[in-house]
Amino acid sequence: MIFSQVASVTLRALVGRRRTVLMILLAAVPILVALLVRANTVGIAEVGQTLDGLVVRIILPLIALVFGTAALGMELEDGTGVHLLTKPISRLTIVLAKVGVAGALTAALVVPTTIIAAVLLARPFADVGALAISLAAGTLVGSFLYAAIFAALGVITSRGLIIGLGYALIWEGLLAGILPGSQIFSVREYVRGIVNTLSPDTIDSIVGSGAIVYAAIALVAAIGIAAYRLATYQVRGTD
Amino acid sequence: MTDPATPQAGAPTAVPAQPGAPTEPAPTMPPPVPVAPAPPPGAIVLEKVTRWYGNVVAVNDVSFSVGAGVTGLLGPNGAGKTTILHMLAGLLRPSAGKVLIAGQPAWRNPAIYASVGLVPEREAVYDFLTGREFVEMSARLQKLPDTKGAAAKAIATVDLESVAGRRVGTYSKGMRQRVKIAGALVHEPPILLLDEPFNGMDPRQRLHMMELLRARAAAGAAILFSSHILEEVERLADRVLVINAGRLAAAGNYRQIRRLMVDRPHTFHVRSSDDRRLAAAFLAEPTVFGAELADGLLTVRVTEFSGFTRIVARVARDSGVSLFEVAPTDDSLESVFEYLTSRR
Repeated sequence: MIFSQVASVTLRALVGRRRTVLMILLAAVPILVALLVRANTVGIAEVGQTLDGLVVRIILPLIALVFGTAALGMELEDGTGVHLLTKPISRLTIVLAKVGVAGALTAALVVPTTIIAAVLLARPFADVGALAISLAAGTLVGSFLYAAIFAALGVITSRGLIIGLGYALIWEGLLAGILPGSQIFSVREYVRGIVNTLSPDTIDSIVGSGAIVYAAIALVAAIGIAAYRLATYQVRGTD
Repeated sequence: MTDPATPQAGAPTAVPAQPGAPTEPAPTMPPPVPVAPAPPPGAIVLEKVTRWYGNVVAVNDVSFSVGAGVTGLLGPNGAGKTTILHMLAGLLRPSAGKVLIAGQPAWRNPAIYASVGLVPEREAVYDFLTGREFVEMSARLQKLPDTKGAAAKAIATVDLESVAGRRVGTYSKGMRQRVKIAGALVHEPPILLLDEPFNGMDPRQRLHMMELLRARAAAGAAILFSSHILEEVERLADRVLVINAGRLAAAGNYRQIRRLMVDRPHTFHVRSSDDRRLAAAFLAEPTVFGAELADGLLTVRVTEFSGFTRIVARVARDSGVSLFEVAPTDDSLESVFEYLTSRR
């Protein structure tokens, strides 16, 4: 009951605003790109690589960033969060509800767009089913994991949005692909690993099926850190 | 000349809480809501509490104890009132000392919120919820058995029924204030903390809210509210804690505090038909310890505000001088607070 109450207020806070429209537009980009490609070719062989570069690397973290930081950090910043904090409820429950909603919203936009783009991009006679299912599973896990990381970031710092953007673009987008050994600390690599485990032909992966374990550890860690930081949260800017 | 009869008023140690002074619920009130268990005398306790922000000290070695009744936390803006209330509400960790709510530490202890209601100063309420939804949310998060009934009662208590179906985003400042209070009252907490609760309310709403708080105090609740307005504290509080520059400057009932404020050294500007002769006459009075004439303005320094106001007319009459103007120079609340703090 507490979980669903927090979740429903969070959902209403996140949906129905200009933010949602912008996120829908962002999520539509891969479909538009796929339509353009489709207009000129019969499809491409490197569907996995293309969607990794476009969705997993850019669209997914950006959407999760916006929802993840808005779900918790923004509420603490604008002062509405105090009404939630001054209730006799577990801080872990608050975090789980917030991450659940932010992750579900991210997945609701990213997973369908990934499936549609994959179907549009695939060549005739390609295994569209394996392609779509593996990419959907990967981005689904990625949605919740990113949402948890950005929710934690929003509790840790009042500049969660800008720091999260830096992390997504610089670490996930650039360094984690280049630095040897850094892959086990990269959400993008976890997503690739999950896709690769389900459908080895779709994409190659360094971490492989280990990605599932890494992703689970990262998810628990992010939620744990967020709950701890929320339990020791101190209001900013008093007096 | 300060009154030695009130030595404990500025004492640095914890002042024992006074039992709730007699308050009678006003007849216009909605029926007072019976408050759950009555709080013990030390419902709210600060023991040598200090709070730093970086190397700025916001609250400095403050100790007090608050029991049932209405207690006013009086002080100028930036005195540390909000910091104290936030520490009591478990939203700030004290840098040193103990902050206890019903005997339990307030920091990192969400269980206390079952017996505490906080009305923060910031206006922020979820704009997209209706007033009723907001109060029902509070009831549900308090795990009350009858959320709708409790919410309806709280909304009626703050007189917000007519707009309860409207989104909070459309509310006036006073309505937002009241919906926050309804949210904080919904579980009928024995301890209520309010940060500048009368901001943004019109005089009628203010009166209504004072009656509401008095009724809850009469039912046994411990209520601590902050204000920088002397008149609000005077009208509502059984007991006053004066905070200035992070320190507890004085504690006592309103009359004691008021006397401290009045019986203090003061400076007056006086205009008259013959300033020179008047100055000489003043200097013969025991309450006057200085008089100087500069730029056609007579400045009189006195040991005691009220003592001087009693003699000024007589002295002028006896020396045959007509008074045009007698004006205290520093009657601002800030200077009063400064004086109270410097007495320590």
